[in-house]
Amino acid sequence: MASGEEEPMVGLIIAAFVAACTIGPWLLSLVATFLYQPRKRKVLLERETQAALKGDALTTLSKPFGNREIKQTKMLMANVVMSPSWVQMWIGGIMSLFGGQINVFTKVVDWARREAQQRLREKVAEEGFDEVINMRIETTMLTTTRGGKDKTSGVEILAYGTAIKY
Amino acid sequence: MQAAAQNLIFSNTETIPGMTITQSLGVVTGSTVRAKNVFKDIGAAFKNMAGGEIKAYTELLQESRNEALFRMLNDAAARGANAVVNVRFATSSVAGGAAELLAYGTAVVAQ
Repeated sequence: MASGEEEPMVGLIIAAFVAACTIGPWLLSLVATFLYQPRKRKVLLERETQAALKGDALTTLSKPFGNREIKQTKMLMANVVMSPSWVQMWIGGIMSLFGGQINVFTKVVDWARREAQQRLREKVAEEGFDEVINMRIETTMLTTTRGGKDKTSGVEILAYGTAIKY
Repeated sequence: MQAAAQNLIFSNTETIPGMTITQSLGVVTGSTVRAKNVFKDIGAAFKNMAGGEIKAYTELLQESRNEALFRMLNDAAARGANAVVNVRFATSSVAGGAAELLAYGTAVVAQ
């Protein structure tokens, strides 16, 4: 008798456990995509705005403007690894059936690129340099092997350039 | 030798601003292949779920790039250069979470 009453409970617990294991991570991913990531981007925008007030230190010119005397040069670099969330990967997978711009991936890569540049700007200010010339941006895909398949786990953006001090 | 490598000037421009190049000593390279430990890999897989920055990978690549750069500078110092110009980076991801980083440039004598 007692075991007969327990069985539905056990079944319910197992069902709840399975649901938590399968849907749980996706729910977490959904929350992260639409709440956590925008918040991080907002912080980045604030940092960018503050840096822009002083004038952008980064240039892609191979020589500095004018002929002021240069006291010191140093190569500086900043990198960041960003990864799209599960939900973004899933949306991107569906969107790539139709082709065209895939907004979710654009967002992540654009975010990573801005973050790397902003870090370089902050590093330049931190080390007391005035300007960066010949700034270059490089992108690398990172993959991990899971079950014999190469899976994209993120994108690395490196921003580097020669910092100069007048 | 290592003390000399620390004092080398390097730049990704063709000339070093404010200096003149007197002699070219050829191409110098430095490379390294690195992988994280399994625990960090698991952490990164969890972070993958949420998206955004994966700090473990950022730090790993930063460290390895510095290592590659240091090897390149050592190579340049061994040739008697005092600067390296036109430094470039190349990165390739070797399967299994390992990454190869290569730094290369031209060793020069600058005054």
